[in-house]
Amino acid sequence: MKKVILIKYGELTTKKGNRNFFINTLKKNIESKLLGYEITIENDYYRMFINAKEEDIHNIIEILKNIYGIYEIVVAYMINNKNINVILDSSLEVIKQNDFKTFKVVTNRSDKSFEIHSMDLSQMVGGHILKNIKNINVDVHNPDVILNIEIRKDNVYLSTSGIKGLGGYPVGTLGKALLMLSGGIDSPVAGYLTLKRGVKLDYIYFESRPHTSIEARNKVIELAKKLEKYSFKGKLYIVNFTKIQETIYKNLDETYLITIMRRMMYKIAHSKAKSIKALALVNGESIGQVASQTLSSMLAVNEVTNFPVLRPLCSFDKQEIIEISKKIDTYETSILPYEDCCTVFVPKHPIINPSLKTIYEEESKIDFDHLIIEALETIEEIDLSKENKHNEEYL
Amino acid sequence: MIYLDYSATTPVDDRVLDSYIKVTKDFPGNANSIHSLGTKSKELLINATNQIAEIFNCHPKELIFTSGASESNSSAIKGVAFKYASKGKHIITSKLEHKSVLETMGYLSSIGFEVDFVNILENGQIDLKHLENLIREDTILLSICAVNSEVGFKQPLKTIRQVINKKNPNVIFHSDLTQALGKTNFYLSDLDLASFSAHKIYAPKGIGLLYKRKDLNIDTLIYGTTENCPFRGGTPALPLIASFSKAIRLANDSLQTNIKKCEKHKNTLIKHLSKLNIKINSNELCVPQILNLSLLKIKSETFVHALERENIFISTTTACSSLEESVILNAISNGNKEISTTSIRISISHLTTSEEINEFIKKFEKVYSELLFK
Repeated sequence: MKKVILIKYGELTTKKGNRNFFINTLKKNIESKLLGYEITIENDYYRMFINAKEEDIHNIIEILKNIYGIYEIVVAYMINNKNINVILDSSLEVIKQNDFKTFKVVTNRSDKSFEIHSMDLSQMVGGHILKNIKNINVDVHNPDVILNIEIRKDNVYLSTSGIKGLGGYPVGTLGKALLMLSGGIDSPVAGYLTLKRGVKLDYIYFESRPHTSIEARNKVIELAKKLEKYSFKGKLYIVNFTKIQETIYKNLDETYLITIMRRMMYKIAHSKAKSIKALALVNGESIGQVASQTLSSMLAVNEVTNFPVLRPLCSFDKQEIIEISKKIDTYETSILPYEDCCTVFVPKHPIINPSLKTIYEEESKIDFDHLIIEALETIEEIDLSKENKHNEEYL
Repeated sequence: MIYLDYSATTPVDDRVLDSYIKVTKDFPGNANSIHSLGTKSKELLINATNQIAEIFNCHPKELIFTSGASESNSSAIKGVAFKYASKGKHIITSKLEHKSVLETMGYLSSIGFEVDFVNILENGQIDLKHLENLIREDTILLSICAVNSEVGFKQPLKTIRQVINKKNPNVIFHSDLTQALGKTNFYLSDLDLASFSAHKIYAPKGIGLLYKRKDLNIDTLIYGTTENCPFRGGTPALPLIASFSKAIRLANDSLQTNIKKCEKHKNTLIKHLSKLNIKINSNELCVPQILNLSLLKIKSETFVHALERENIFISTTTACSSLEESVILNAISNGNKEISTTSIRISISHLTTSEEINEFIKKFEKVYSELLFK
């Protein structure tokens, strides 16, 4: 018996025509996260099998737990012999590793040339187990352990319990979006939830040096890297936002400062998204959390883009968001106390119900198009996979 | 010249020195400054610390740069004693420790702490049964070095941790890892506090490390701390920190190869020198880099100076307590003065060549017979 990892797909079962695309993407994603491990992956329409060195299996499972598109991860035992006696004895050996009082056997026979029918095989194996282990019973409704037997073309696979995967769709199967990453608690969580639906992410961060510091930038890089644990080859775009922010601050109505600032951010994010073929913007807004996240503020800000703006957290309470951020290990980084550009210039009384008429009047005082083009031209791009090593020549 | 005193200190590796010089020139800013020169330095500080944390498998915030292992030892021991005096005043250590541990303990006993020494078995390991008996309800600290600097005895840190957990899990476990770094494997997860020194691993003198488990609070010796140095304060010594980080990386990369090289040399030494009427004190529980032996009929100091005339450098006990009788050898030999006053320490490195070893053996035999004759 050889240990292999068996992967059951997530919601892929519903994707008829595109199924192969989904499976292949999942396979590619798994391969890229398991670089450095000696593995071979085989798959069919229903399952994926990862062959790895036995000592690596534990670590590999830990990595697989962070990959979207996996419903369940099962450590299965493979036998390359379809002799019924071998199946009976191996089944007994596998189920013995569990502590149980009741069990059930489920057989799945995708190799129809195997002469014993599924129900019959389940009964034979069940009988063999009952004969050899004392004080146990079959319970088909609520068993302590289910022994799964899969009869496939080349091999037979035996398994008991599995580990729940992240679910969702394989990242990259449903396009790309641009996440507006601020350095706070919410936006990384919004990113994590977006990735779940198979949407790959690039990241955009608005920097306002000298009002914001290198620490704030490093913090965002760190957060993006933490999200990359669930994603692939994401890029971080850093926008030099100083001039726009200072211009707004010096020249426009203070109560509209945040609204107009956010409109500018969305305009820049929109243009960047378009140029990198992202299909949506994502942010961490939650309705009513702050003045700029009221519905009327969202309406006023959203007006500058016709891209979908995904707000996966719109109905989440802060505590719920914090729980997820702890789970995905971004919380500790998010709460580092560095100013970000949303906290640098804060008006005493930001407008809660901004009017578009005032916004237009205010914005017409400045040539923002020019400033936006300049900001877009000076965007800095950070390859997150390469950002790991720094100052190498000195260390 | 044949240098066989690598446990006293090591020559700086050219690659490490290169880092020192480059960082000195390229990073003039204070890592505590908020301007770009400062942040550039801070970035290097973070990266250098992260590199060490990755190798040590700990959190970067758990690493505190000090001036060396003596400061780390003092900070750890006094820091625990002063912080937890209200919980208990009982501390346990061993005779295997460096002066900076022993004398700190001496100071603490003079101000009302009670210090017990765990017995050392004949094989150089601490007596775990005795340790278990010593640990009490009011014990706050145990300090045992991972590798003794004089004879090279290794201690089973994991087992010691188990003994603590069994008897009183509140006891804080400090270990001086100065002679372990670059010589053997260790796991910080077994410890609450650990001390390191850079100059024992081919880095410059003047820098060390204190590992302090993240959720452990201890008193600081220095006031006026900064965000970058929240425990120890001061301006981060960036050239030293970067070169230390590099030295740790290099030591880690070649640990297994280096161990093998030293084992080979040590075996050659033992094979030849044990033909003489001497007592080899190091045993199979010692790191391969250290060979301690007692000359029995010749005083250590005389022998060291006689070898020096041949341009060969070794030491008597440890560099820090060269002129005293060896406490450890006294302990493991049941007070046999002949053993404890005639011991020498030969410490080898991966830099040592077979030619040097052969030459050393020849000169050793020569000096030995000359002095014995007198």
